[in-house]
Amino acid sequence: MSTRRTFLKLTAAASLAPSVASAQGAGAGRVVVIGGGYGGATAARALKALEPKLTVTLVEPNPVYTSCPFSNSVLADLRQISQQEFRYDGVKRAGVVVAETSATAVDAEAKTVTLADGNKLSYDRLVMSPGIDFNWGALPGYDEAAAQKMPHAWKAGAQTTLLRNQLQAMDDGGLVVMSVPANPYRCPPGPYERASLIAYWLKIWKPKSKLLLLDAKDAFSKQRLFQNGWAELYPGRIEWVPLSKGGKVTAVDPATLTFTTEFATHKAAVGNVIPPQRAGAIAGQAGVADRTGWCPVEPVAFESTLRPGIHVLGDAALMGGMPKSAFSANAQAKVCAAAVIELLAGRKPADPILINTCYSLLAADYGISVAGVYRPDKGQLTDVPGAGGVSALEAVGGLRGQEALYAASWFRAITAETFG
Amino acid sequence: MGRVLLPVLASAVLLAGPAQAADAPFNGPPGASSCTGCHATTKIADSVIPRIAGRKAADIVTFMREYKSGAWPSSVMGRIAKGFDDQQTDAIATWFAAQPE
Repeated sequence: MSTRRTFLKLTAAASLAPSVASAQGAGAGRVVVIGGGYGGATAARALKALEPKLTVTLVEPNPVYTSCPFSNSVLADLRQISQQEFRYDGVKRAGVVVAETSATAVDAEAKTVTLADGNKLSYDRLVMSPGIDFNWGALPGYDEAAAQKMPHAWKAGAQTTLLRNQLQAMDDGGLVVMSVPANPYRCPPGPYERASLIAYWLKIWKPKSKLLLLDAKDAFSKQRLFQNGWAELYPGRIEWVPLSKGGKVTAVDPATLTFTTEFATHKAAVGNVIPPQRAGAIAGQAGVADRTGWCPVEPVAFESTLRPGIHVLGDAALMGGMPKSAFSANAQAKVCAAAVIELLAGRKPADPILINTCYSLLAADYGISVAGVYRPDKGQLTDVPGAGGVSALEAVGGLRGQEALYAASWFRAITAETFG
Repeated sequence: MGRVLLPVLASAVLLAGPAQAADAPFNGPPGASSCTGCHATTKIADSVIPRIAGRKAADIVTFMREYKSGAWPSSVMGRIAKGFDDQQTDAIATWFAAQPE
């Protein structure tokens, strides 16, 4: 027994040895990454690939990541939720230490991250990609309990399945109501893709049902493409109510599935509330979020303008003209990783160029896109003039089908790069 | 028994780190790291997006130039190519050409 106990102790010490050794080696450094989504997992893998001597620790409490991109297809039964799930084996294979717990506190002065499991990590640079949290209470009547009756499904997983199951159980003829918040929020075209794919599914399975889209805005991403597509594919099925026509939802009642706007009340058979959002809670605790709830950063290494030594990327960050998308987060993570390595070596990172490409599906074989190219200008990531824009309004040569295929291929490429 | 096994286990752990580290390159010129979000540098099954890793730099430059001018039809690539000047495009093409096919 005593031999076995000694053996276990010694092997435990041995498996700790490499990280201790590399942390103290020449040119080495310690980078902690908080959040294992498209931003954080990419950043962790890229850091380790660029500088194998770095000790990189990814802090992520969930063993399985459920992707928001393509989760609207789960609502329309075009995909299974299991196809949205990614584990961290590839991140670990890249040499990243994965701490399967959450970060509870960041001390920017002491350069430490306190974990929920009681451990504390020291860092030379911290990368935060905490995603979003909801402003519970910003919409009267909507809180975590209400989300069990009126799902948000804006963090994919159980909420996605809940909304899908509610749609499945709905009587034919039932009204689906969605509410969309004011900018900024995760995935600007996401609500309209969701409305499209729910309409796609209703057309097949609940042909008497309609969808009411209550919006706190008067304009939205890829608007003409969506509206042209709705007229073509789902005439009369989707009603979009903009802010100026009383679209802003001012309260909800989860007991009766009622949405209240300035002008009317709407009773839903299935209600989907996309709530107002802010950066993930740890950003506020770390002092990198400003009064808007989001995180201002400089445009080269995405270092916080509020807390030096902490980089913020993805949906949580204010990235100038760059939208809050998975493509953006992944692109920012790669730029950030390269810049962090330059900074650790005492060099100045070069100005980056970033691309965003974002596909939306209106049906299984109908895709549209928006793209942009961004570079630092006057302290902000700014659109390169003349570049970017949306898909052609007049689709020729099977363009919509082609873009639906590109969307699926993009998903395979980006998830492979992010999770390994 | 523990004394015999320990060095074997320790060296296995030491080998596991660096040997399997870099399976995707992230060291390209400005803009290149965004391209790999679609144009994967690792093997992706069942993709309709063309692989550009390991292709001739001159061919990549030609595609970008023709997409940019609109001479060749494209979905997103014309919109993206317009964001890069000739020098930036050349640098990205040269980098992709040097990646394993």
